[in-house]
Amino acid sequence: MDALLDAALAGETRTIVVVGTAKNVGKTVAFNALRALAARRGLVGAITSIGRDGEAADALDGAEKPRVRVEAGTLVALPRELVPRTPALEIVDIGEASALGRIVFARARYGATCEIGGPPTARAVRATIDRLAELTTGPVFVDGAIDRIAPLAGGRREAIVLATGAASGANVAAVAEIARSTVARLTLPGRDPQHERGRVVTIAGALDARVAQDLLASVSGTTVVVTDPTRIAIRGRLFDALLAAVDLRCERPLHVVACTSSSVGPGRALDPRELVRAVAAATRLPTFDVVAGLAA
Amino acid sequence: MNCDAETAARIGAVWLRAAIAPASDFGRRAEDAARPFTAGDDTAARERCAQIVRLAAQLEPDGVAHVRTALRRAPDPADTVSRARVGDPLADVDFFEIGRFADALEATARAWDAAGGLTAGRPPVVSEIGSLLGGGRQDGKFYLADAFSEPLAAARRSYAAADTDVEEHRRRLAQALAAQLGPLPDSPEFILMRDAQPQLPAGVRVVRETPAYRLVTLELDAPSIEAVARRDAALGAVGYEEDLVRRDLAIGIARCGADLLAAAEALGELDRTLARVAFKQRWGGCIPDAGAGRFAFADASHVPLRAALEAERLPYTPISLDLPGTAVLTGPNMGGKSAALATCGFLAACFAYGVPPPARWAALPLLDRVVWIGGEQAADRVRLLSAFGGEVVRTRDALAPPAGPALFLVDEFARTTGPREGRALLVALVEALARRRAFALVATHFDGVARSAGVPHFTIAGLGPRSLDSHAAGDIHAALDAVAQAMDYRILAADGEAYSHSDALALAGLLGLDAAIVERAAELYAQSATGPPEALTE
Repeated sequence: MDALLDAALAGETRTIVVVGTAKNVGKTVAFNALRALAARRGLVGAITSIGRDGEAADALDGAEKPRVRVEAGTLVALPRELVPRTPALEIVDIGEASALGRIVFARARYGATCEIGGPPTARAVRATIDRLAELTTGPVFVDGAIDRIAPLAGGRREAIVLATGAASGANVAAVAEIARSTVARLTLPGRDPQHERGRVVTIAGALDARVAQDLLASVSGTTVVVTDPTRIAIRGRLFDALLAAVDLRCERPLHVVACTSSSVGPGRALDPRELVRAVAAATRLPTFDVVAGLAA
Repeated sequence: MNCDAETAARIGAVWLRAAIAPASDFGRRAEDAARPFTAGDDTAARERCAQIVRLAAQLEPDGVAHVRTALRRAPDPADTVSRARVGDPLADVDFFEIGRFADALEATARAWDAAGGLTAGRPPVVSEIGSLLGGGRQDGKFYLADAFSEPLAAARRSYAAADTDVEEHRRRLAQALAAQLGPLPDSPEFILMRDAQPQLPAGVRVVRETPAYRLVTLELDAPSIEAVARRDAALGAVGYEEDLVRRDLAIGIARCGADLLAAAEALGELDRTLARVAFKQRWGGCIPDAGAGRFAFADASHVPLRAALEAERLPYTPISLDLPGTAVLTGPNMGGKSAALATCGFLAACFAYGVPPPARWAALPLLDRVVWIGGEQAADRVRLLSAFGGEVVRTRDALAPPAGPALFLVDEFARTTGPREGRALLVALVEALARRRAFALVATHFDGVARSAGVPHFTIAGLGPRSLDSHAAGDIHAALDAVAQAMDYRILAADGEAYSHSDALALAGLLGLDAAIVERAAELYAQSATGPPEALTE
């Protein structure tokens, strides 16, 4: 599993953001595993979340969720309402607003188990991660959300780890296909003037189904540029068709480095070895099952 | 001073409120609670302006900026103090913020001293907070430290020992299992493949089974369970002692509550004052003379416009006016008639909010109302009113209240209806305003309104004999630059009233209208014009 942390922390990366292809695909399990790997190397860093995480049960479906264990020395950014009373945390700073109060930067003096959550806006997410990076010399781990990582685009300091799992598809092939499609979208290349086609169409907002249909009908063979990969709101065959028809690029690419696979989903269990191999083959990224201790 | 939202936007009062917004939460609370000066408050308003002018001269602008930065960072203690006073439990974040507030008080006082502030106006400090929270504060951070309570320190030592004990038991169990299975994955739960481990090894508990694998976790033995129970009990004891310390700190904060709230109130008022001082240092301003019967100013700026022009590196010309009551203002298109109206309203708003009006000199009354009439407004469209209909309804409403000290700013009333009837309506409106003895400035392109209504007439000097750069024709940016360079924005008293010049033909040509159309218009104009404007005097 050390290879997962190596992949995430390669180059100038300071921040590791774990996002999932769906709910209950093992995102928080992967997040905790990465932190455990770092801790074993003596790397004490910081953690936060984009959205609410770490609660005992899912706020939407009530399903049991893994808690977030904060080890002594770890810096955590979490909403004021979620700061645990015991054991007390050292309060270091206060930052952006969130629905559960302003974001508090705090350091654990003793190990604690808690909910973590993060700020709601792109600007506040960026500010919170930057502040954590200022306050710690170690890595910053972010329990992310795939539709809220736009502020992380455009740099090489944040590595994205994509969590996939049985919850996202009925069988191994389906899970791998969703992982492939998601990685294709998230790894959209940045602009390259030397290889742009004769005409460049810039999409200012979201590239949705209507825009995609218009592009397929009118500008096939051109370079199409979106702001960042999260602006692409189309999936499946329509996305593949567009990808084949135009040179699709973005102004601010994301840095996706690895996948994790979780063979256990609600009401479903897949073969972990088949799954990790299939996801790795489909995404062409190093893939890990942190629960089964598998890599491909 | 009352004015509707449209008037506030037109005269720049909305901009002004934003420009003088305090930096801190408690400053904004104080600003929201403060009542603008109105008729009868003249002495207090002038004293407030005098205070701002005096401080602006006395304090270094950089020092003012530093104090405001310190205020911006200061948390508002009001909520925490209120909860402490009624015995609600406080959280460590509350103590952190109270500590930061105390820091801000001291930083503000130091910055005040460095800026040259007088001792009499020095912001307060609440030194008791330093001794109350000092045991947990270091480098601006706060921790419910062992120094607050020996029982807390002892409980934490017990907890640390119990936690280590649990970890040792867990390590012992994991090592025993690893001897059978090899290194375990980095997660509390892990998978055992059935083909590799057909028999469930001792020391694990099954969480979930599938045909291919078992999801398992370490099974705790009796000594481990006892260790976990001891750790949970130790953590409970820590929580109990931590809450005792929090309770004592909350009592201390409740005890200092009056001082903290008084300090917040004082800082809030200081914040309001410094926002005005910064405004005065940036944009200038004067102490208005007693303005009974007079609305007059010299070299005044409509600061929102001036700021916008300066941002574009364009010149701004201050204007002067002595408005004895109701008067008519004419002048060229793009000559600043609307800006002149807005300047009057802006100066009135400044005085009402205790801000030295940005002028070299001013004599202003305090007003109950400022009303802007003219131009289509968003609400008109919703009410299906035409531009003219909207003006009429607004004028009806504006004239309905009893006559208190008010300023009416009328911008090209009735310009969108037939010119003969429109002019007649405007003359009648000006007469009515004059009869009310209202302050009113009425901008129009209609000829002869002032003479017909028997009120003073002012005009924008305009282009006059200056020529516009014809090479700029068609280039909108160059044209606007040329207009700005050539236009004389001064307000002059018109000596007589036969003609109001608009410079419309010259401007139309400069802005790129087809030359043939402009030439034809010039021919027609020459046939109909009654003659050049009468002599103007400042």
